[in-house]
Amino acid sequence: MKRLLLACVALALALPSSAWAHATLRATTPAFGHEVRTSPPLIRLHFDQHVKILPGAIEVLNDSGRNFAGPARTSGTDVIASVRKLPAGPYTVRWRAISADSHVVSGVWTFGLRVPAPSVQDAYGAGGPTVAEHLVRWVWFLSLALAIGALGFRLICLRGLALPLALERRLAVAAGLGVTVALQAGIAAFSLRSEDALQLPFSRFLYGDLSPMAVTRFGRAFIVMTLGFALVLALIYLAWLLDRTVFLVPAFALSLLFVSGLSLSGHDAVDPGSSWKSELADWVHISAASLWVGGLATLVGVVWYGAPDLRRVAFRRFSELATVAIALVLAAGVYLSIVRLPHLHDLWTVGYGRVLLVKIGLVSCVLAWGGFHKFVIAPALERADGAGFLTRIGRSLAGESLLGAAVLLVAAILVDSRPPAPAVKTAPVAAARR
Amino acid sequence: MEPPAEMVHWMFATGLLLLGLCLLSEAIVGPEVWRARRWRAYLWPGLAFTMGVLMWPVMAFFTNSAIHMYAHGSWAEVLMLAGGAELGLVHGRLKSRWWRLTTPLAFAVTGTAFIVHEQNAWFFQRSAFLHHLLGWTFLGAAIVPLALVFRPRSTVLQSAFALTFVVVATMLYCDRDLAPVFGHLSPLAGVPHR
Repeated sequence: MKRLLLACVALALALPSSAWAHATLRATTPAFGHEVRTSPPLIRLHFDQHVKILPGAIEVLNDSGRNFAGPARTSGTDVIASVRKLPAGPYTVRWRAISADSHVVSGVWTFGLRVPAPSVQDAYGAGGPTVAEHLVRWVWFLSLALAIGALGFRLICLRGLALPLALERRLAVAAGLGVTVALQAGIAAFSLRSEDALQLPFSRFLYGDLSPMAVTRFGRAFIVMTLGFALVLALIYLAWLLDRTVFLVPAFALSLLFVSGLSLSGHDAVDPGSSWKSELADWVHISAASLWVGGLATLVGVVWYGAPDLRRVAFRRFSELATVAIALVLAAGVYLSIVRLPHLHDLWTVGYGRVLLVKIGLVSCVLAWGGFHKFVIAPALERADGAGFLTRIGRSLAGESLLGAAVLLVAAILVDSRPPAPAVKTAPVAAARR
Repeated sequence: MEPPAEMVHWMFATGLLLLGLCLLSEAIVGPEVWRARRWRAYLWPGLAFTMGVLMWPVMAFFTNSAIHMYAHGSWAEVLMLAGGAELGLVHGRLKSRWWRLTTPLAFAVTGTAFIVHEQNAWFFQRSAFLHHLLGWTFLGAAIVPLALVFRPRSTVLQSAFALTFVVVATMLYCDRDLAPVFGHLSPLAGVPHR
């Protein structure tokens, strides 16, 4: 009975909802992201409460920025604007209104007339990824790598070993730190993407309607990843609190599962030539790279200087794990490169290819460095016992992991770039469907 | 289909009320009696931590404005932090009493988020009034857990700490999406629909 009551309370608390009292857009005509067959005579926004309209409250923009909307008026809790007859094509609707609580609320959505609606991220006026977005995505990759790497290192490389309690806790703290930063980076990435779509200054962006962004693939991935990694954080915390490594097993499995959100919302899920195979390959690529780079960072940052007695065995076992991870990274990476860039000359003739070329160069350097560690240092490590030698290896491993972090930076830029279209080029607003 | 916002407030009000009642019970009977059964010591920090975890769905599904997403996110994080730190202290994993500073920090962040998020005057409508009141209550009450760091056995402070949660829960139970406060409702706020 007690358990039932507790379960009921937990369930009641778990039900999510919108909150507070400023105007919320409930429905639109045409609907978000729909393809319509005939030119809509009007645009209707249905709110949950009365709003006041501003001049230019509704704009209906084609892919060259021409506005087709007439003056807006209110009707109950609706805002309506007539629309001139539209030619076929993709359209962006931008709106703003004064909410009952006096905040100016704004939003954007897209629809298509006899063509597929573009993603809201590709709405007219959106500028695309910025340097800030590259950096945030890099931090996202790094933090996910730290979380997955620390968990994987503990469960795979240190399995069956009697670990000092302090090391167990440091590993849990490293994984928890990774997840915490990943949650913040996810929020920042979603905000930056939304800010670009809404095209609002920050003060007005705070009251901007992000709902259309939340129903994009990226938005859904953000929601699922946020919920998933919040659960992972709770599991890691329980492992730390109760000294029960068993909690790390579901945490690791869930981390690998939810990191797939990056694949499902990226190019490999939506660009021409995409299939379940490219999505799977992208997930394998990201998971294996995270395990490799994050595991290396854990070996250096947590084990090498925190538990000197375990250096040899940890190095040897990580070397085996890294070999498998690198094989997966390379296999998936080669497959994805072929899918994205069908022609070899694309590597130097298009922007995406050039970034990929930089990434391949950096990966080659990391592979060479890793090979040196595996084939030269590992045998020497079994024989050597000098403290100076071990310290130098630690520095060398730190260098390799920094280079791995640089690879992730280029990967972040690559994910924000768009591979070349295989067929005839189309207008930017219609080209991409994420 | 999302339930009305006020219902979510009532759900979290229930959690906060349970939390406050646990603390009040401990303040009345004393820690020795309350903790005669070991699991009771875990009740309020465990509840706070769980509520923090459960705040994440609210944050993730509530995307009709950025500022509310940030507010819910900050509450999720400080609830997990304060609950987690207190659990660590109860379990003996953490030793330093300074970890208890996470609770006044959580109060301060929560209060600030309430006030920053609400830009209407107090008497615009009931939710505006409650936002201001909740914000200032949390900010003012942050002094109580701060004082508890230095005087953890003070019955007065323990009672005040517990009653803060009961009061906050009562305020959240009073919330409506659109309703008058002391008979006043701004014409801009619209017509109450239930």
